[in-house]
Amino acid sequence: MDTVTRRKFLQLTAGAVAVGAAAPLLSVDEIAAAAVNRPLAAGTPIVVMVTLYGGNDGLNTVIPYTDSLYFSSRPEISYKADTLLPLDAELALNPAMKGLKSLWDQKKVAIIRGVGYPKPDRSHFSSMAKWQTASPEKHINTGWLGRWIDTQAEDSMLAISLGSVLPPLFAGAKRSGSVLPLGGLVIPKGSVATNCLQLAKISRADNSLMAAAATSMRNLFSVSTTVQPILKAPAPVAVDLPVTNGGNAGGDSNLAQQLDVVAKLIAAGSPTKVWSVSLGGFDTHANEANAQAALLGSVSDSISRFISQMKSTSRSADVTVVVYSEFGRRVVGNGSQGTDHGTSGPMFIVGEKVNGGFYGDQPSLKNLVNGDLAVTTDFRDVYATILESLLKSPVEPVLGKWSGRTKFLKA
Amino acid sequence: MNAKRLEIARLSHRFAFGPRPGEFAAALAAGVSATRQKVLTVPTTDAGAALVANPVITDLGVRPKPNTPEIIPFVTGMRNQTEQLTIWWLDRMAVSDHGLSERMAWFWHGHWATSITKVDHPLAMYKQNQVLRQYALGNFAAMSRAMVNDAALQYWLDGQTSTAKAPNENLARELMELFILGVNRYTEDDVKALARVLTGYQLSLNAATVLVNPKRRDMGAVTLLGQSSTFTAESASDYLVAKADCATFIAERLWYRFISSTEEMPKNLSAVGAFASREVAPAVASLAQDGAMSNPKYSMVKSPVEWFISACRALELTPSKLIDSKQLINHLNKLGQIPFYPPNVGGWPAAEAWLSSASAQYRIAFASWLIKQSPLRALNEIPVDRRVLASADWLGVAQWSPRTQAALRNALGDPQEFTLLALCSPEYVVSA
Repeated sequence: MDTVTRRKFLQLTAGAVAVGAAAPLLSVDEIAAAAVNRPLAAGTPIVVMVTLYGGNDGLNTVIPYTDSLYFSSRPEISYKADTLLPLDAELALNPAMKGLKSLWDQKKVAIIRGVGYPKPDRSHFSSMAKWQTASPEKHINTGWLGRWIDTQAEDSMLAISLGSVLPPLFAGAKRSGSVLPLGGLVIPKGSVATNCLQLAKISRADNSLMAAAATSMRNLFSVSTTVQPILKAPAPVAVDLPVTNGGNAGGDSNLAQQLDVVAKLIAAGSPTKVWSVSLGGFDTHANEANAQAALLGSVSDSISRFISQMKSTSRSADVTVVVYSEFGRRVVGNGSQGTDHGTSGPMFIVGEKVNGGFYGDQPSLKNLVNGDLAVTTDFRDVYATILESLLKSPVEPVLGKWSGRTKFLKA
Repeated sequence: MNAKRLEIARLSHRFAFGPRPGEFAAALAAGVSATRQKVLTVPTTDAGAALVANPVITDLGVRPKPNTPEIIPFVTGMRNQTEQLTIWWLDRMAVSDHGLSERMAWFWHGHWATSITKVDHPLAMYKQNQVLRQYALGNFAAMSRAMVNDAALQYWLDGQTSTAKAPNENLARELMELFILGVNRYTEDDVKALARVLTGYQLSLNAATVLVNPKRRDMGAVTLLGQSSTFTAESASDYLVAKADCATFIAERLWYRFISSTEEMPKNLSAVGAFASREVAPAVASLAQDGAMSNPKYSMVKSPVEWFISACRALELTPSKLIDSKQLINHLNKLGQIPFYPPNVGGWPAAEAWLSSASAQYRIAFASWLIKQSPLRALNEIPVDRRVLASADWLGVAQWSPRTQAALRNALGDPQEFTLLALCSPEYVVSA
């Protein structure tokens, strides 16, 4: 399996999407200081974007388990009906997604079916660019949340992406979201430290890449040991999950680690309205069943753990998690116990603000478009709803005149 | 900035792996034109490279079953061979007299990016590396034909599971998108058509051999980019390589790795025309002569391997003699780049991706580890009162900023710290 990661995507879009130089790398103390000095106002909605890189097979995620075409189209990689987690009489979740099933039963999960865009593109890089820029027709340099950042008062804490590189999602024309490395940083000491700080100064002789190199050094040093405790402290307790081996279930995947940091910083009051985390590896051309189940298990476990952690903070009612991938996969298996790149897929929206249930039409397995699932919901309907109803922001500056909405939030 | 210093520094750090002590000053004395000629001319023998013994990479047979006595020597053998292979290549980069051949092999490794994490067999990776070396500055059509039949690439992109009955599109798509034409220069129907042509491969991964099983291959005619024909894998490869888009795409990729990964390639770049015969050498020579080479706008971030190798050359270190290989690989891993382990089929990222706070920290640790193992001969030979400015020649830096000069002056009393600051300075991490 080719693990398509965010790095691959960034590398291929770097020339076209304005990332990098304008992206501040946040240090822990900046976040901590901001959290202490100007915490996010109580009740402010918080959106956590979860990007699944590689093209998640939606048909083995939300499974039409009573449709015989599902089983006959992909005999090698279909799940046995009795192993699935039924959501209604037609659809069931992948057996690995017990955590999300439990949230579904609590009416906290909206599943939007058949999400995509016109003229599906089957390149990982192009399709992810379309999802992140929300511009399927024309290649543009800004992400949809980047354009939202442009409409907000300048605040380097407003939108934070976990990891070491900025996703195009957060690249605006004027400003960009910030980037927070997952691991802690170790600062040199003594005269080396003094001199490295000298190296980190801005020089008029610097070109933009040298300035970025100096900035990265400067940010390394701006981490203060007195505020490291926020990240060193234990994550908020997941109140209603069993504790296993000294940690909560699902706690060691990279996605769980990212969400752990988000949880700590939300609990500390970071004035951040939008977060971005991600998981790669969904490009399952071969031997799909085990690989995808492991990844979906990680998605499900870490999100349910995160939602549970929020309950031990005052932000539980404010947080909404949004899960998407660049495309679904072909209906028919490819003979390698896997699937090739396809079109539409389901999105998951999770949180207490969500009116749980299905939205959008389930794409038919009988009436395929060139052998692929039809797109029944445009992702801009979902984005417009997030902007308007969650972030309380006008849609037009971000998506232009777009009238479609998906009413997955409580009134 | 001094245009001559800039251009020679770029020739040295981008078309090779940086100067050894004295080489930059000699190149300045020789001038840009003579230096370019030297960089582009592949010598018949390379005394430096000849010092590196070829690794002993063998067929270790089919992987034994888990929990058998045979599995342990097998896994140990695999691990040793993988480490040997990685260090062998790093050594070649660090001690070759002529840098361009290694540099081009490195470029093509990132282009046909195949990772041992999935291939898992060092012999297949070694054989692929031989193919990349053979054609590194040669004919791209021949390289492409050889790569389509390369065991490691076939396995990496699931070629061996693709049959006439059930074609797998992975190899076909990447062949057009990432290897030959570039994204959006073909349709989805072309992907499906090429996938049919490429069916029927069977391979022995441990022996790194491929063959086509006619029973599993789709022998029917397909329509590929408007032409209907019964293609073979080789004729399809030739057909795609002959397309005008191939010249544009390969020039774009060369531009991206040699001139700028942040600025777009100009449409009329002469390297596109220089690739008309699909010979790599003239295209690379054209880039090296391009006006862009002296334009300060086109700076590049050194990737971690490029940074490490250039430091080895300045510090007169040989990767295989460092203590020890596992620590070396660990340092490279933290910075995010180990030969034979590209993150995915798109190859390694570029530019700001290498400039995070985390990498600043790991670079400082890596540099300290290296410096302790070097006598710093070249630096110590420079009189202390000339060290700040003269160290730019030692390392092949076009120009130190006043900021960095101030830091270096503070460390004049401590050659190790002086070197650490120089290697971690924005002017060294970035090729101006």
